[in-house]
Amino acid sequence: MAFPVPSTCYVVLAAVVVVYAQRHSQQDSHTQYAQLGKDVTIQCGSVDRGAVVTWTANNTDLDASHLNGSWLVLRHVDLSHSGQYSCYEGSSWHLKYRVNLKVGTPPKEPVLMCRSNNYPNGFYCSWHLPSPTYIPDSFNITVKHDSKEIVCEKDASPKNRCYIRYLHLFSTKKYKVTLTVTNALGRNSTTISFDEFAIVKPDPPENVVAKPIPNNPRRLLVTWQYPSTWPDPDSFPLKFFLRYRPLIIDYWQHVELSDGTSHIITDAYAGKEYIIQVAAKDNEIGTWSDWSVAVHATPWTEEPKHLTTEAQGTVQLTSTLFISAGVLVQFQETTTSSTSAFVVPSTTKMYDSERQANCGAVAVSWVVGPVLVAFGIHFI
Amino acid sequence: MAAARRSPGSSPHHTDLCCRTVLLLRKMRADVSRLLEAYVEKQGLDKNFSLDLVDGVPTASTEQWSEASDAERLGDNLKAYWAFQTLLNEILEEQRSSLTPNDLDFHESIQSVLLQVSALAYQLEELMVMLEHSVPAKELEGIRGARERGLFEKKLRGMKVLQELAHWSVRSVRDLRQLSKPVQTGAIPHVSCCLALKK
Repeated sequence: MAFPVPSTCYVVLAAVVVVYAQRHSQQDSHTQYAQLGKDVTIQCGSVDRGAVVTWTANNTDLDASHLNGSWLVLRHVDLSHSGQYSCYEGSSWHLKYRVNLKVGTPPKEPVLMCRSNNYPNGFYCSWHLPSPTYIPDSFNITVKHDSKEIVCEKDASPKNRCYIRYLHLFSTKKYKVTLTVTNALGRNSTTISFDEFAIVKPDPPENVVAKPIPNNPRRLLVTWQYPSTWPDPDSFPLKFFLRYRPLIIDYWQHVELSDGTSHIITDAYAGKEYIIQVAAKDNEIGTWSDWSVAVHATPWTEEPKHLTTEAQGTVQLTSTLFISAGVLVQFQETTTSSTSAFVVPSTTKMYDSERQANCGAVAVSWVVGPVLVAFGIHFI
Repeated sequence: MAAARRSPGSSPHHTDLCCRTVLLLRKMRADVSRLLEAYVEKQGLDKNFSLDLVDGVPTASTEQWSEASDAERLGDNLKAYWAFQTLLNEILEEQRSSLTPNDLDFHESIQSVLLQVSALAYQLEELMVMLEHSVPAKELEGIRGARERGLFEKKLRGMKVLQELAHWSVRSVRDLRQLSKPVQTGAIPHVSCCLALKK
């Protein structure tokens, strides 16, 4: 019989705690939104307009010039006005009201785009705002086809995109997509309408590779792969568009290819480095993809096999000698040698230079040998 | 829908017929698109007019396209082009009699597309016979509209016919390519509809 009284007490105590917590959280959760550039008036909760109060912004006292009675008036607010505003009773400094002011803008008309990069599976729609609002926005998208609403599955990431599976193929009925954006300061919307075929745009071809073809100084072999997002190349083949130019020339040359995933460029300038890109399009419908990542290649160049001219040249001879005292001495000598008139690839040049240098080193060693021996004796 | 099943027998003739059909479809699509532009302009229509209430035109739209069998694909195509033959004849007659009686070039454009549709139907029928699929029965009365239509209704109907015909031409190319896809069982495909078609 002693238990009912304490249990009642517990219930009452719990209720008090809940109510307190609710009030406390209500006080903390006040948020007021203000439009950028406009005047804002914040009332001190339910305090009389004529009461004496003090306002703080982010714990800094505000000048009385901002007050109209107990109301706080902010003129032409900008983003720096966002923050926590608190109102205290004049004499007691008792907190009477607290609010988070958030300055922002109503949303402008959103930009909406729909595209199928995996036809005939489906398409996605993505959107963005032309300018930031600085406050939370919520987006609602509706997709209709043949007057029926169809589901647009939201991606986990990115959040401004959703995916629609084609329920019908080859339909002449248009898709109508409406996007509405709402925030605390306003709402806006945009609607687009399109044909199933019009939004087909593959991703760019992948793994584009360009290689020289041995013994063909004006040819380059370019290969690529279907974009991995394109699901059925057999029934929905792509055609390709290839563009290429030497690095030193701004003018592109173009080739359209109705099938296959390779092409031989036959009119390249010998010895010039080329930049090459490929785009793709469904053979029947839609638009061209963006260009693939650019690749670079230079046609095959003949390496000189014979020394065709005699020319006077210089070869830097570097010889390293290790002297008994442990001092490393680098010795340089200049001599003459015959060399090719061709500019040869660097590997060949190194090989020739070394060979020539070694020959020189043998010849020179007879001269410098006794000198070095004398040096060595001097050190010892 | 039945799973894709290939019929026995294939020859270079099949492949050649398939290729020619695809090329004809592409030519026809280009012509129909031009004709549709001209039609909308000459009839004073707007491409955005709703055509939902126009019935009796075979729609290219399909829900389970990828699951159709070869026979279903070819049969659906054939039935559609037979219907378009009738419908284009009606359109031509309406243009000659009341809508554009003096525009002979325009009539010729319609006539040209009509001939292509007839050729296409013939080739599809031939392909079905070669592949040993049964050719569907021709339903002539089902298409021909019995009731009298107003002028505006006739104009809208013509627009719908050309719109659907353009979409059918795209669908048919896909259908023919689908016929040539390798069979899942690993068998060699029996029909090869120009896997590397030149445009």
